[in-house]
Amino acid sequence: MRAALAVAGVSLRRMLRDRTALFFIVVLPVVIITVIGTVVQNPGGFRIGVLADQLSGPQLATSLVDELKSVGPLHTMADEPAARTALRRGEIDAVVLVPTGLDADLLNGKDVRIPVLAGGAESTQSAVRSAVAAAVARHAERVQAAAFAARTTGTTTAEQLPRATALQRVTPRIGISTENIATGSDYLPLGFSYSAPTMLVLFVFINALAGGASIIQTRQLGIYQRAQAAPIRVRSLVLGETLCYLVFALLQSVLIVAVGALLFGVSWGNPAAAVALIGTWALVGTGAGMLSGALFKTPDQASAIGPVIGIAFAMLGGCMWPLEIVPNAVRTLGHVTPHAWAVDAWITVLSRDGGVADIAANLAVLAAFAVAMLGLASIIHQRRLTS
Amino acid sequence: MFGAFVIAAKDLRQRFRDRSALILGFVAPVAVAALMSFAFSGVESFHANIALVDNDRGQIASALRGTLTGPELSDVLTIREASDDAAARRMVDDGDAGAGLIIPAGFSAAAVGDRPIGLRVLGDPDEPLQAQVARAVADAYVAQLNADRLAVHTALAAGVPESRGAELAAAVAKLQSPESVQAQPTGYRQLRTASYYAPAMGIMFVLFAIGFTARSYFAEQRTGTLERIGAAPLTRGVVLLGKSLAAFVYSVVSLSTLAIVSSLAFGAEWGPPVPAFALILAMSAVLVALTALVVATARTERQAEGLATIVTFVLLLLGGNFVLLSQAPETLRRLALLTPNGWALRGFTDLATGAGATSAIVPVLVMLGMAVVLGAIAAIVGRGRLT
Repeated sequence: MRAALAVAGVSLRRMLRDRTALFFIVVLPVVIITVIGTVVQNPGGFRIGVLADQLSGPQLATSLVDELKSVGPLHTMADEPAARTALRRGEIDAVVLVPTGLDADLLNGKDVRIPVLAGGAESTQSAVRSAVAAAVARHAERVQAAAFAARTTGTTTAEQLPRATALQRVTPRIGISTENIATGSDYLPLGFSYSAPTMLVLFVFINALAGGASIIQTRQLGIYQRAQAAPIRVRSLVLGETLCYLVFALLQSVLIVAVGALLFGVSWGNPAAAVALIGTWALVGTGAGMLSGALFKTPDQASAIGPVIGIAFAMLGGCMWPLEIVPNAVRTLGHVTPHAWAVDAWITVLSRDGGVADIAANLAVLAAFAVAMLGLASIIHQRRLTS
Repeated sequence: MFGAFVIAAKDLRQRFRDRSALILGFVAPVAVAALMSFAFSGVESFHANIALVDNDRGQIASALRGTLTGPELSDVLTIREASDDAAARRMVDDGDAGAGLIIPAGFSAAAVGDRPIGLRVLGDPDEPLQAQVARAVADAYVAQLNADRLAVHTALAAGVPESRGAELAAAVAKLQSPESVQAQPTGYRQLRTASYYAPAMGIMFVLFAIGFTARSYFAEQRTGTLERIGAAPLTRGVVLLGKSLAAFVYSVVSLSTLAIVSSLAFGAEWGPPVPAFALILAMSAVLVALTALVVATARTERQAEGLATIVTFVLLLLGGNFVLLSQAPETLRRLALLTPNGWALRGFTDLATGAGATSAIVPVLVMLGMAVVLGAIAAIVGRGRLT
């Protein structure tokens, strides 16, 4: 056992001394979690573009813009061409062009049509337009009421508008209340709570695969053979390398968990479930690293092909986008990778407050992956070292 | 000069004989772009599925139902009747409906009175837009009723005697909203996922070639090939030129192949051939400059590999190759324009959405400028190193 620990210690030191590897282990995960976490945010509705000069226009125009805030976040655009370009690039979902003569026309009793340019697919455009139409209709309520009161009392709409506006706030209206059916989400929470667990799954696996290079190098240099000249058993050598990968995977996990919690305020859910999941995933990573060391022939292969396999598995397994959005066939295919089971378990833990019992099945599948890969890897390693 | 071509041809022959270079340059980008466009195929358009419960069955409720199921909204939503609240809840919970809309009993009778009963929307936290659209279409419908009530109240507050209340109520029934939304065509194409991720993935894989080329240079230095070439009447500059030319051709061929295959196989839009090819050429020129910089800065094969990896990943992350930049906050979009790949993607996005060939001019010029600056730095650093 002491021999195994010594082997593990030496291998681990070697892996951590490599500065390029440190970039992949420390810097890259943090940067990727930041970038993806910032992009995957809930925009809170449709992103509506309005022109800058509409923000400080006459009263009715500005109050219409205010009303549009209920549709989603407002983006101020310098001018119409800029707004159209942003719309074309998909940076906003719609542009509402409040007509310049809006106040004058409405106060003179004319009907006004408000041009809306919507982006996206046809159906998305209709949805955005419906949302804008609802906001416009709410705005029109008080204009219509003021015009009516003006007609019946022989005054002007402008005179009645403050009254209608004040009354709109207190008059009972047919409201619409939204109630969320919260039996648990099928997605991870958005933002960093999305990017941190998925990138934990991705990086522990990829870095273990790429780390297989060091086993191959040791083997190519004949260090294992020389080690066997000492009274050391092959089993201890293999065990030592396994321990090295396990510690490596755990270090990587702890780093990401700590960065997620401290830097980005990610809540990692039920502690027991999180620990069980991280531990099991570290074992899967260990198996992947050992297998990579056993199957690849040159260190270059491991460090070049390893990441490609890692990224492909991550894509299929739902680390790059939620599996909930992909066609069924792709989702089923995704569950060939251990990643999908791990991400599913994180969804249960983080979005449905799941405990160890709720993710037991996923843990079992992941453990099976780990055992299979470790078993296969140690058979190959033992055979290589004894022959 | 002729020597440079010989060296380029030899490098290219070597590269096209190497299976992993072929996989990275041709198979992987097509496979990944195909996978991404397939995975996102379901989320490019939006359609709401709404479970409707009519507990009222009165006149206004039927009219509301008529509007919701009418042809104008058929693009936006599909209504499914649910027998009661519990059934609607179940449908939303099981994902059979994206949101629910409940018309409470007594709604029609109360809608015209002073104590209206509100509508209820059942939302699924995973599908916030579905609930928003359900809310918006219902809101747009009841807005007229709300406007009518507000009109009566305003008129009364403006001094019309209470005794004329019935007359007012009859008069408002004929009113129409003075503001409405007018759909205006944008004249652009929608940016499809395939059109963004095909170039994004293509650029990602050619950027990986930086490490490849840089390593091969140092490998030739290590094996003494470069020294032997030194015996021939060739300067180090010609050798570098030859290698750069090979990297350039590899990148152009890889990206062009992807452009052709992805347009034919899964409808990725690369825009008109001439500007698209100009973007490919400019991106490839930057690639060569970056490679030269890595070779000039690094001292060993290992350093070159590490440096290339870091440069590649930083560019990919900032440039938006991993995330749909249009969904990103503005800061990230600005950061992307510090990278050549960010400019390339902007160019391809503009071409894909039909912005016209001239839209590629600025990205091409910026990338060429970057290539010149990076190449100059590489030359200065490299010369300092040699003397």
